[in-house]
Amino acid sequence: MSAAPILKIAGLQAKVADEVELGILKGVDLEIKPGEIHAIMGPNGSGKSTLAKVLAGHPGYEPTDGSVTFAGEDLLEMEPDERSLAGIFLAFQYPVDIPGVSIANFLRTAVQARQPEGEDLDIFEFSDHLTERMEMLEMDVSFAERHVNDGFSGGEKKRNEILQMAMLKPRLAVMDETDSGLDIDALQIVAKGVNKLTEEDPEMSILLITHYQRLLNFIKPDFVHVMVNGRIARSGGPEVAIALEEEGYKTYEGQEAPSTNGSAPAA
Amino acid sequence: MAQATLAPEGVTQALSAEAVERISADEPTWLQERRRHAWSVYETTPMPTTKLEEWRYTDLKKKLDLAPLRLSEGTAAPDDPAQWPERLREAMDEDREASGHIVVIDGHVVHADISADLAKQGVVLGSLQDAVEQHAALVEEHLATEAVPAEEGKFAALNAALWTDGVLLYVPKGVQLEAPVRITRWLTESGAAYLSRVLIVAEQHSQVSYVDEVLSDDFESQTFTSTAVEVIAKDGAQVQYVAVQRLGKGAFYQSVQRTLAGRDATLDTLNVALGASVTRVDLNARLLGPGANSDMLGLYFGDGSQHFDFNTSQDHIKPNTASDLLYKGALDGSSRAVFRGIIRVYPGAQKTDAYQTNRNLLLSPHARADSLPNLEIEADDVKCSHGATVGELDSEAKFYLMSRGLNRTQAERLVVMGFLGEVLAKLPLGGVVEKVSRVIEQKLAQHEG
Ligand SMILES: Nc1ncnc2c1ncn2[C@@H]1O[C@H](COP(=O)(O)OP(=O)(O)O)[C@@H](O)[C@H]1O
Ligand SMILES: [Mg+2]
Repeated sequence: MSAAPILKIAGLQAKVADEVELGILKGVDLEIKPGEIHAIMGPNGSGKSTLAKVLAGHPGYEPTDGSVTFAGEDLLEMEPDERSLAGIFLAFQYPVDIPGVSIANFLRTAVQARQPEGEDLDIFEFSDHLTERMEMLEMDVSFAERHVNDGFSGGEKKRNEILQMAMLKPRLAVMDETDSGLDIDALQIVAKGVNKLTEEDPEMSILLITHYQRLLNFIKPDFVHVMVNGRIARSGGPEVAIALEEEGYKTYEGQEAPSTNGSAPAA
Repeated sequence: MAQATLAPEGVTQALSAEAVERISADEPTWLQERRRHAWSVYETTPMPTTKLEEWRYTDLKKKLDLAPLRLSEGTAAPDDPAQWPERLREAMDEDREASGHIVVIDGHVVHADISADLAKQGVVLGSLQDAVEQHAALVEEHLATEAVPAEEGKFAALNAALWTDGVLLYVPKGVQLEAPVRITRWLTESGAAYLSRVLIVAEQHSQVSYVDEVLSDDFESQTFTSTAVEVIAKDGAQVQYVAVQRLGKGAFYQSVQRTLAGRDATLDTLNVALGASVTRVDLNARLLGPGANSDMLGLYFGDGSQHFDFNTSQDHIKPNTASDLLYKGALDGSSRAVFRGIIRVYPGAQKTDAYQTNRNLLLSPHARADSLPNLEIEADDVKCSHGATVGELDSEAKFYLMSRGLNRTQAERLVVMGFLGEVLAKLPLGGVVEKVSRVIEQKLAQHEG
């Protein structure tokens, strides 16, 4: 495991843009190497989604300190679309609906954006590929003509995120609570799909954000981190998740990582 | 009342009683009289001002100067398509299968065709002037009588008095046209006033789609186009009327439209407004027979300092009638849109279903939209609703798309097209959807600058 990390987060702090206070990430350190699966667990409001959105470049959050390097590049300098093309994919906790835009049309544009300059996407190849991916995720082909997330059930939205992931083949997939809103059958289908993708591309890395151990039974993490109050409070192997399942987050309550920088922890 | 010594409002060098006489010199008496009557209505009708609720947001004093206009006297244009302007030919190329075409250049019908089979069944598609001779009884019965008579207002009167070009579409009982008929108009005379009419009569249980596209380059001086549209769908007929306006800058586009739907008739309209400096559409849908139904669709995209004013009314006169209006627009630059719509349910028009929705998307902080929905209900067993929204581009949607690799422009384009696409999806006529999408994309491409 001497490969260079695909993602290196060091001392990352972030706040809500346009707000003076509201620091949410208070010094996050995390390294992910190609092919590794990491899980971040943590109580509601601990900053997991904020971390995911900062990685994807959401304009609503502003990094205030620290650095993020992705495949050797300064990620924080990049626009959201550049990050996507560089290989970051965020499966949203709350996918956004885009009325009037079909999944097929949207994905065609996204896949086209990955073509080399001046090369047009082969439409037939694209459709075949889309159909194949939908079959993999046990989705009806008619799904492709539905408008992105518009009127979707919670489960359909999550499955649609994984479909996009399967079509865009990221180097690092950040999956934010993909398991919530999925029943056990759907969860297994999604997990199978994700595992298929990691088989296809053993170099693909995954950062799973979840509340529950449940998903980790199907997608096995190499590392588990516990996020509390904007920091990684504990890191370890899969046993960390099992311990959490038994003990809950109580042990972490009131716990603050040593305050090595100026940001005062909330009381 | 007005002093006899003062020139009545809107009477100019070109727009005059003499012009009425000149234009109608060779016309049958009934038409001459109809024009003279319309002219007298025009003279005695004051020019609408912003004091009138219906004109509150469109100040004609500032936006329209009739004085310098000439009447379009366009010399006959070539009827050889090879000599037609590039953009006109392009517009026609995009029109797929059609049951018939009319090409109008500067008010002259330079081409008209209708499939031989349909002609044999009695379908008429041609210039209104010709029809005055060839289908006199039909035209005399319907032209500027029940649908858009001179009494409708200042512009309707002007149009009825001075119209010089027009289209007649007549579909006999039970005849169904699979493909739309397509009218393409090209205007070139800067500083001219074009007054044209459309008369569509669809007999019982007939079916037809009519698509009318008007386009031009930019004009150096203000150019006025006035259209009076009369659509009559008899019992059980199904009619779609589509107007696509792609005029250049400097154009003042004014259109008065009235649709009359008989028993169990379906009469749908789509107004697409993309060009012109000023667009004013007055649309009145009248549901005259039980079971009549009208979908009323509108789509606009403004940029620069374009101004749009849509004034619609849905008149439910008989019971069991339905209307569903959806007008959607995107506004960039410092463009502005006004939508004013009223649903009127007449006494006794029970079981009316009437809906009205206007949605606006502002793409620039300087753009503006005003939406004024209204209801006037005089029956108690009805379902009516109206809604209006003015919003900005959803930044979460934009981020979502960008997080999949679409650049800012592509993301905005997709969101806007999705927003407007809802309207086109409801009346998916071949050719129209592609054409309109392409023009909007061109406009969006300029948005980035
Ligand atoms: N845009 C925002 N404005 C204000 N507070 C926010 C915003 N986004 C997140 N927060 C706050 O930051 C904290 C972390 O949120 P989040 O990252 O969504 O947590 P998690 O995903 O771990 O549940 C919460 O207290 C949340 O209320
Ligand atoms: Mg979250």
